[in-house]
Amino acid sequence: MKIEVLFPEICNLYGDLFNVNYLKDCLPEAEIVNTSLSDEPLFVTEKPALIYMGTTTERGQELAIEALSKYKDRLQQCIDENVNFLITGNAMEIFFEEIFEAGEKVCDGLGILPFVAKREKRNRFNSLYVGDFDAGLEEPLKIVGFKSLFGFAYGDNSNCALFETLRGDGLNKDVKGEGIRINHFFATHITGPLLVLNPTFTKWYMEEMMGVENAALAFEDAAMDAYNLRVAEYTDPGTGIYY
Amino acid sequence: MEKLRYYIALWAAKLSIVALKITKRNGTNFPGVVALKICPKFLKYVDKPKKIIGVTGTNGKTTVCNLAIDMFKADGTVILDNSMGSNINSGISTSFIKGVNLFGKCKYEQALIEIDERSAPVLFPYFAPDLLVINNLTRDSIMRNAHPEFIGRLLTEELPKTTKLLINADDLIAVGIAPENERKYFGIHRMDTDVKECINLINDMQICPKCNSILEYEALRYHHIGKAVCSSCGFKSPACDYEAFDVDTDKMTVTIKDAEGPYTYRLLNDSVFNIYNVVSVVSLFRELGYSQERIAELLGKIEIVKSRFSEEEVGHYTIVRQMSKDKNALGASRAFDYVSGRPGDKELILMMNCLGDTHHWSENVCWLYDADFELLNKENIKNIIVTGPRAKDYYLRLKLAGVADEKISFVEKELDAPKALKLQKDESIYVFYGTDSIVLANRVIDNVKKEIAERGEK
Repeated sequence: MKIEVLFPEICNLYGDLFNVNYLKDCLPEAEIVNTSLSDEPLFVTEKPALIYMGTTTERGQELAIEALSKYKDRLQQCIDENVNFLITGNAMEIFFEEIFEAGEKVCDGLGILPFVAKREKRNRFNSLYVGDFDAGLEEPLKIVGFKSLFGFAYGDNSNCALFETLRGDGLNKDVKGEGIRINHFFATHITGPLLVLNPTFTKWYMEEMMGVENAALAFEDAAMDAYNLRVAEYTDPGTGIYY
Repeated sequence: MEKLRYYIALWAAKLSIVALKITKRNGTNFPGVVALKICPKFLKYVDKPKKIIGVTGTNGKTTVCNLAIDMFKADGTVILDNSMGSNINSGISTSFIKGVNLFGKCKYEQALIEIDERSAPVLFPYFAPDLLVINNLTRDSIMRNAHPEFIGRLLTEELPKTTKLLINADDLIAVGIAPENERKYFGIHRMDTDVKECINLINDMQICPKCNSILEYEALRYHHIGKAVCSSCGFKSPACDYEAFDVDTDKMTVTIKDAEGPYTYRLLNDSVFNIYNVVSVVSLFRELGYSQERIAELLGKIEIVKSRFSEEEVGHYTIVRQMSKDKNALGASRAFDYVSGRPGDKELILMMNCLGDTHHWSENVCWLYDADFELLNKENIKNIIVTGPRAKDYYLRLKLAGVADEKISFVEKELDAPKALKLQKDESIYVFYGTDSIVLANRVIDNVKKEIAERGEK
């Protein structure tokens, strides 16, 4: 099983790479393939068990777009053929049509997703996040995390949201749907170690998306303890959501 | 009208200083807050010293400023500084308010101002430092500072073109700031502990700023601090105007070479972080025209500030206070590295919980996953006590770092943490705390002493 990490030399902010580190702890047999900006990605010739890309700088977004633009058709094919993608933080915007800063267009994105990113130059939008993930079970899985971004995403994700927001912002302040889910392409603005902080989701993801039978979570007790406390805190109306 | 507003602001702020004195309140930023409330452009109008030296960067600016202030005092040089206030606009305004008389005339010739790098947009439109020391740009608060590339861009956009820069050449993010400004560089040539590959989770300068190829490090200290070269385009770290050689942590000396040749100075602390602070302050004083001999003499007269790191012998134990700035992964990693590398067995109490955040929301713990907790997975670290609101997160993070279960103790309340100490004779007990927990850390340390008195000496 190969997990491809796109551009870890630049897409590595806010502890995002622990999503992959944690999967490696859970799946010791998994091979992590780090793809640099100048490398030909693994997904060009193979179908990795997962393609991961994490939060980057604003310049990093442009470099990633430049590096991936020649593989746009192959990326689209991978999405159509249900290859697993997990894209966190502002890496999601790399797949958008355009990125704007302070009202001015910064660059074209890959144009794979019909969305645009609009960011401010200096203001940060910081919040906690709690939402539901429909895993097809009786009850949705609670998702907790953090958002720390310069802006929001715009476009219609009413039929393709990854999470349904309970507290915090969705794709932007006006919608409840958070992130984008198309086939096995999962993208979210949530930053940081999403999989470490959400062990119930991680177990579901390994079993249902990655096809691991009876997947075991690494340090399950400790992860569940921290998760249960966080869910209790974030769903408590007394806990502020915005920083 | 603006000028009248300024004078009203000045007098109101001056009055607030008197009121604070009478009521014996601290309020070190309050006069500046008052002044800026009445006159938002107060910093533009207030009369300032003829020469302003600034110190900025993510880590070490307070230490560098404190060293420099002590050296100026030892030299008999009167200088205005903001060591009693904050390094943002209100604290800096407070310092300038104290520096002028009731008629608004400045009483000082020179100022040394510690400058919060994120505050550049509300400072530099109103005053231009003549010389600005930039120690480093590294990750800090995710919420406030985003990432160092953003802060570098902010400084480049805001810095006045007239400001001369004195930059750490071993930090390529800092080197990239305001390329058009006149500059000099300081750095460390080689150290015995240098490596070629980064072992830290954070490394924010992995690609060449010119051609985006992977950079190679000829000498790496930690994170992205070191000497890099790009084999694709030939880009490399700049040559230093002030370069440290022969760092000797046994004799606690460092030799710094400049245009006049090498000279040996005293080190105040053996951590690499603090060696950079000394190199930076020596370079600053050389830029101000001090002779090498005089700088060495002044350095010989001062001590490093003890609030961030101090140790105390209690019976057979050593209790060490280790401040580690809240939500600062790189600062925590440096502290972990330093502590884990010190000789002898040790127990740690981790309580760097951001208590300020606890009151209104829940701390963003992403920084735990940028910090090198793996450095605490050492044989001579016998017990790590995690405590406070985020203790469960620390527990999980230590497990992910490979720390054995029997070496981690979970204690919900900080004041109870000392009860979980194993207290093996001749060990050191390190208390890691953040800026929000200074008072609480003192109480925890009192309880450590009680535990030693009750259990440790038996």
